[in-house]
Amino acid sequence: MIHAVLIFNTTGVPRLTKFYTALQQSASNLTQKIFSLISARPATLCNFLDAPELEGFLVQKDLDGEKLRVVYRNYATLYFVFVVDGAESELGVLDLIQVFVESLDRAFENVCELDLVFHFDEVHHILSEIIQGGLVLDTNVEDIELAVTSAAKARKESYASANPLSLGGGGVGGSRSTGLQTPLGWLTGKLTGVSTR
Amino acid sequence: MWERTLQDLIRGLRANKQDEAKFIATAIEEIRQEIKSKDMELKAAAALKLTYLDMLGYDMSWASFYVVEVMSSPKVHLKTVGYLAAAQSFTQDTDVLMLTTNLLKKASLLSVTLSPEEVAISLNGFSQIVTPDLARDLSPDLIKLLSHSRPHIRKRAVVLLFKVFQKYPEVVSHAMARIRERLEDPDAGVVAATVNVLCELARYNPADFLPLAPFLFHLLTTSNNNWMLIKIIKLFGTLTPHEPRLVKKLMPRISDIISTTPAISLLYECVRTCIIGGMLQGTAGDALARTCVSKLANFLQDEDQNLKYISLLAMVNIVPTHPHLVAEYQDMVLASVDDQDMSIRMRALDLVSAMTNSSNLQAIVQQLLSHLVRTEASALPSAVLSLSQTASGTPQVPRLASPSQNPAYRLILSQRILTLCSQNTYENVLDFEWYLSVLVDLSYVASVDIGSEIREQLVDVTSRVKGVQRFAVSLMVKLLCDDTFLMNADQQGSCSEVLWAAAFICGEYCGELADPQKLLTYLLQPRVLDLTPDTVAVYLQATTKVFGVWASELAERWDSDDLPKVKEVVGSTLERLTEFVSNPDIEVQERAANILQLLTFVRADLNSYRPPVERSFGYEDSAGPSTTTAEPDFPKSLYLIQPLSSMHELKTVAANAQASVPIPEGLDLDAWIVPPPKESLSHVHESDDGDGAFVGVKKVKKVQKAKGKGNSGPKAKATKKKADGDDGREELQPAEQEMTESERVEQDRLKTERMERQKDDPFYLTDDRHPKNADQYDVDSIPVVRLDDLPPLSQANNSRVPMLRSNDPQFSRQTFVIDRVGEMPSGAVSVASSAAVSPAPGSGGSAGSSSTHIPRRASPSDGNGAATAAPLASFPAYEVEDETSPRTGTPPPIKVTRVKKKTKVAAGSGKKRAAVSAATSSTAATGGPS
Repeated sequence: MIHAVLIFNTTGVPRLTKFYTALQQSASNLTQKIFSLISARPATLCNFLDAPELEGFLVQKDLDGEKLRVVYRNYATLYFVFVVDGAESELGVLDLIQVFVESLDRAFENVCELDLVFHFDEVHHILSEIIQGGLVLDTNVEDIELAVTSAAKARKESYASANPLSLGGGGVGGSRSTGLQTPLGWLTGKLTGVSTR
Repeated sequence: MWERTLQDLIRGLRANKQDEAKFIATAIEEIRQEIKSKDMELKAAAALKLTYLDMLGYDMSWASFYVVEVMSSPKVHLKTVGYLAAAQSFTQDTDVLMLTTNLLKKASLLSVTLSPEEVAISLNGFSQIVTPDLARDLSPDLIKLLSHSRPHIRKRAVVLLFKVFQKYPEVVSHAMARIRERLEDPDAGVVAATVNVLCELARYNPADFLPLAPFLFHLLTTSNNNWMLIKIIKLFGTLTPHEPRLVKKLMPRISDIISTTPAISLLYECVRTCIIGGMLQGTAGDALARTCVSKLANFLQDEDQNLKYISLLAMVNIVPTHPHLVAEYQDMVLASVDDQDMSIRMRALDLVSAMTNSSNLQAIVQQLLSHLVRTEASALPSAVLSLSQTASGTPQVPRLASPSQNPAYRLILSQRILTLCSQNTYENVLDFEWYLSVLVDLSYVASVDIGSEIREQLVDVTSRVKGVQRFAVSLMVKLLCDDTFLMNADQQGSCSEVLWAAAFICGEYCGELADPQKLLTYLLQPRVLDLTPDTVAVYLQATTKVFGVWASELAERWDSDDLPKVKEVVGSTLERLTEFVSNPDIEVQERAANILQLLTFVRADLNSYRPPVERSFGYEDSAGPSTTTAEPDFPKSLYLIQPLSSMHELKTVAANAQASVPIPEGLDLDAWIVPPPKESLSHVHESDDGDGAFVGVKKVKKVQKAKGKGNSGPKAKATKKKADGDDGREELQPAEQEMTESERVEQDRLKTERMERQKDDPFYLTDDRHPKNADQYDVDSIPVVRLDDLPPLSQANNSRVPMLRSNDPQFSRQTFVIDRVGEMPSGAVSVASSAAVSPAPGSGGSAGSSSTHIPRRASPSDGNGAATAAPLASFPAYEVEDETSPRTGTPPPIKVTRVKKKTKVAAGSGKKRAAVSAATSSTAATGGPS
């Protein structure tokens, strides 16, 4: 299964951390360690992180203590890191990272780091359509997009019903327009305290 | 007041980069206010902001309760926030999880009022925070959800079931049938998710999933979902070891995929499943194995580093069954160890380790060693420089430096070399001289903390392989004479621990050296003090041995002209030793003092030495029985030291040696040596006195106090009164200084009575194994032993010749004999040797008295004054010619005598006295240095 999904940028600032099981290391500890190892690797090297420093570092807290593996991919300024165990196929996980990034791209239209910064909750929602509790839910980009939009729609409707003034501008939709606010939307946001989620 | 939204927070963070901590502190303060707000929207916004800060490493556990509040909101957009916050911050230990459980129980998953979106949110949320309780309560609803009308919900439900199984395994049996139905779900996504779940579950309990094989096989032939096919193939990999018939069924299909699929990931998984699923047996399997290995070899040559990596990963599994196939690609694999990618190196290292056998070990180790060497040589001119360099420059390793420079990698590499060679007691090592050289080379080039491991190996190999000892000594002499280690001793990764081994080996086997005394200079050079105290101690011990061997050899072919030479060596050694005597480390100090005294004695003897005819040795008179009739013509003290270390050859002890020591007749290992004080027995009283237990405890205290003071005060008497009659008096007995015979008898009688009473009482646990011995607590009966005399000296080895001698034909270089088993106690084979621990004849025949607990204890009757004062046979060495016992033989039994103590003193002081008296007698025996 998948034990953790991490996204951090090329300077090591986390953009998303999701842990599906309790690992022995703390989240920030793990992120830093993996970042320090990955950032030293030139792009031409393989996508599997294996290093003497990791021996005995990545072990599960409770179960049999199987050694976990780190599969990562670098897109522009971001590293996408999956920590997986032996039940996952190494190459399969690489494909899965690609699926995740494609889904992000569809939701944000030409995704860039800023989208992830300002919509970190949305990134979580998209991830939750791909992986649930460490198991892969779906790998079909079309299906994922469908699920993402329908969930976003539900949140938007719920928001609209709670905030009639918002005119639908402040929904939690997946489109980039949520980042650009109308003056009225901004005002309602200020008034209600939850503008652009 | 304008509340900050998440976006505002993030913008603020980006704008306040220089003062982030302060900004976040104010932000968290705001959040603390907002999250308590009655406005749900505001609360949710605060929770979301907290979740963001949590990702950055700020604690949000304090807000758990508010998060639960947000979770319980009926509005989808708020509920989502709540579940997200919970999933990110809750752990299994979170207190409010209990609350959550109740909350979630109420809001039943299947409630008609819930929209599919809400159900989806809950399902996703549960997957993160599920607890055993929650799993139990929710499983019925969850199983119903498996047939929800929406594929999306079915998918989530089936995936969540895996988590529920983990926490609440009892539900598996109910749900299994429903899960199987999902394999035939009309929606492909649901089927794929189900396969995922099965693949995970089967890892824990493969046999249970064999009935699903037909369904899975059907999917394998019909589906084209790559991800799912990979999972199915993986699943079969876990199933086939439990059902061999599956192999036959699967083989055609898998071979088909291997030869046709364009997807490399699927191809790879097929190959891997073939390997780990045991499909490569038999003739058909061999062909398949060849295909697999050739596919993997193609990957290995591929430009894509990822393929290289996984190919190495898979090859490790195929080596055990088909080593010859992998061996064909040995060069390629070895080249991968050179790869600049650390990940690939690590995998290649694993594979190389798996491939090692006795024929390729040398090549492989040499290759690995060259990695450690090459970078050193290219980057730095000398080992000395590089060592200092590494110590100072390790932190700022350039970013893209060769992985060989990485200290962690060097450590792994060094350790790997050691394990490769030493596995199964040096199974693959044919040439031990080569191996010793490797060890020495490694200690020079490793630059990591591997010194202690190398040390162990050096000592172990040298003691196990007799044939290599000569070579080892010559090698170790070189190490001792090399300043490199001494100079870098205080630096990280200097491996100066090998000097420990070098000193030990040189000392132990210095008989192989022509001029051992030359070593003394190196062993006692001032720089040695830079080493760790335990190494220095070994140096000193080696000094003793080297001097002893040299002196005895000198005596053997004595020539009066040697006298000045010996005097000079002794003199200079003594001079050097004075520096060590004041060493702060106690061990070093003691050993230095020991040898210093021994050598002082030797010097005194040498000074009083007169060429043969004269006989004016002060100690001669007291040398007693060991004096020979023909007076030797050399200074006798030259034989003083050598027997100290050469009496018993050091050998590796077999792992089960201790267990094989036969228990001597009449020895009860379970018996008390010193029975616990009475109180522990009488803690529990007859329950007929109400405050029995209390009194018991009090008495213990009392007794302890009494022991300290040496008397039992009036308070103790009071306690005595409180306790009921007999027991009370008895408990206080140990506090008394003296116990008369009649009291003891009385005590025994009372105890027997009590035991009798308690025997049938279900409230008492009685130990009836050794009731006889349990009453022997008297400190006076603890035996104190004294080693009566030194064992006789073994014969000096005549075969020794003064050069680095190996005209010894019996050790041909190629036939190294390894002592794999190690030394077994002689008692393990013959019962006769148990005499070694029983008292020597003549020291009293009543040793077999029934009260003996300790094997070495002799009967008190022989502990008379004569035995105590009996002179130690101090210089048995004088009788070398007559000695016939071989050097390697079992040492003769050690005479053990019990020293009788006349006064009633504590055991400790008694021992001291015995030691003192022994010391005195030994001094008397040697006649003193004067």
